[in-house]
Amino acid sequence: MKNNGNLSIFANGILKENPVLVLILGTCPTLATTTNVFGAFGMGIAALLVLVCSNFLISLLRKVIPNNVRIPCYIVIIAGFVTVVEMLVKAFLPALYELLGVYLALIVVNCIILGRAEMFASKNTVGKSVLDGLGMGIGFTLALCAMATIREVFGAASFAGIAIPFLADYKIEFLVKAPGGMVVYGLLIALVYVLTSGKAPQKKKFACTGCPGAEFCKPEACTMEKEEA
Amino acid sequence: MKNLIKSIVSLVCICSVVAVLMALTNAFTAPIIAKNEAQKANAALLEVLPDGGSFEEIDLSTYTLPKTVTAAYRAENGGYVVKLTTTGYSNGLILMCGIRADGTISGVACLASTETLGHEKTYGQNLVDKTADTIMSVDIVSGATKTTGAMRDAVRDALNATIILGGGSIDIRTEEEILADNLAQALPAANGEFEKYFFVEVVEGVDAIYLAKNQSGAVCVVGEQFIAVDAEGNVITECDAALAASVTAAVETISATETTDIDVTAYNPAPKTPLYYVESAKRTATGNYILEMRAVGYGILGGDSYHPASGEYILIRVSLTKEGRIIDCLTLSQAETDGVGSVCADEKFYGQFDGKTQDNYENVDAITITTNGYKEAIGRAFEAVKFLEGEAQE
Repeated sequence: MKNNGNLSIFANGILKENPVLVLILGTCPTLATTTNVFGAFGMGIAALLVLVCSNFLISLLRKVIPNNVRIPCYIVIIAGFVTVVEMLVKAFLPALYELLGVYLALIVVNCIILGRAEMFASKNTVGKSVLDGLGMGIGFTLALCAMATIREVFGAASFAGIAIPFLADYKIEFLVKAPGGMVVYGLLIALVYVLTSGKAPQKKKFACTGCPGAEFCKPEACTMEKEEA
Repeated sequence: MKNLIKSIVSLVCICSVVAVLMALTNAFTAPIIAKNEAQKANAALLEVLPDGGSFEEIDLSTYTLPKTVTAAYRAENGGYVVKLTTTGYSNGLILMCGIRADGTISGVACLASTETLGHEKTYGQNLVDKTADTIMSVDIVSGATKTTGAMRDAVRDALNATIILGGGSIDIRTEEEILADNLAQALPAANGEFEKYFFVEVVEGVDAIYLAKNQSGAVCVVGEQFIAVDAEGNVITECDAALAASVTAAVETISATETTDIDVTAYNPAPKTPLYYVESAKRTATGNYILEMRAVGYGILGGDSYHPASGEYILIRVSLTKEGRIIDCLTLSQAETDGVGSVCADEKFYGQFDGKTQDNYENVDAITITTNGYKEAIGRAFEAVKFLEGEAQE
């Protein structure tokens, strides 16, 4: 039973609670770095590393961090890991560093990482938090790679920079541009919705706790409050 | 209070731990990153000097190099790559110039620019394989003269710099600097501050006279020679007697000049006399005229979104003999398009009118609105002198 629980924490992030396609978090790097599979994969792995490390540390310190300064603490921890990852990428994968540009540093403000810190790591044990980070990170990477594959193969007739000759004459360049990214994004969200229909978490499971607007919400508009009451 | 302290302490602790973590990572990655960047910089250098091998930056502080040279690298094979910063149509035109060991140019690349037409990206091709002796024969691109001219001059500076870096010596002073040095050498008492004398009398045997601003004397230019004269009119530079005599005579002539003002407003505005474009006029004791002319250039006639009309005339001072021969000419002020019409303030342009008469002043080339207007104003000066002579006869 315990193993099942852990497995589902891990698996949740991949499809059922996929951060990009179900929770709709981290859309900015999703749209920006998915023009190229290599960049998308690199971005996903970088975010995965930061996510696992920050989930681990935040969960470890969850009883030490005072509630009123928890957000600054999370940001410092996340920013620290992002900087470490950034330096490592710059040293060992300069090509990826050039490709990701500012978006690598912007992982600091990636909603997924802060969201998981606030929603999960601050309330669960270290092991579960690491599993959650892994699941979410892999989910993020998979979503990015799926989107980048569609955009790069059909938009630029190449895969991870390797040209696909027979598609060269049928490029849909629109897909590489920002509006094309939006369309692919929307289609993928729809696809995941169909795949998980009935099984996907309903609003109440992740609504108000992680919602920045919760405090200002009309109580009658919030289903979770009602149901819990 | 307890909560507050706990918050502060925990935040400080977390920050410290994270800082240490980052410092450790930085200590580990910094040398690798530095190596990567050096490789990248090396690749940029190889682009302009493909067979250069590896490069070593030269410390420029021990050399006197042209101002455009901002960095230089010595290649393994004896060639150089020189980084140049110059001003084309606008500031910040940064070039990289590769020069082979035999002194020929191997490549010119533009690193950064804010030029308007983009010629800086391609013009470098024209300079490849040129040497210090042949580079000035490469044509600059018409319509992008500022950009390409500045590029060519900068690349010439690079060639000169490599000669100096290679242990040779070359005069890198500009014409203005050479003149200033010669003047200062001839008359040290002037502290290097001179003003070019505007001739109002025909002075034979002397090309130009520079007066010391502190009244300590003057320097006469005769051909290649700079002859200094002190405040009392004595020649203080060693030279032969005939030359000394002609210089003394010239200085005496110019110091005896007296002028009387002519009231040009008396003839203006209607009916339009030839004096309409004359700002002021003076007659010397010997009967020569000094006129200040308003020329109608681009500042009055032109104007588009790039170069709005300034609404200002070009002001020219011109001295003529009473027979209508130009003694000297000088642009006093102008607000023409920078880099195009502004050539009218260049001595190379207005110096062409020296010695011209109404019959041959048209020979001076003029192709822009500015220079055409300038020429027209000179033509009016001849008319004005004729008119004033006529008035004087009456």
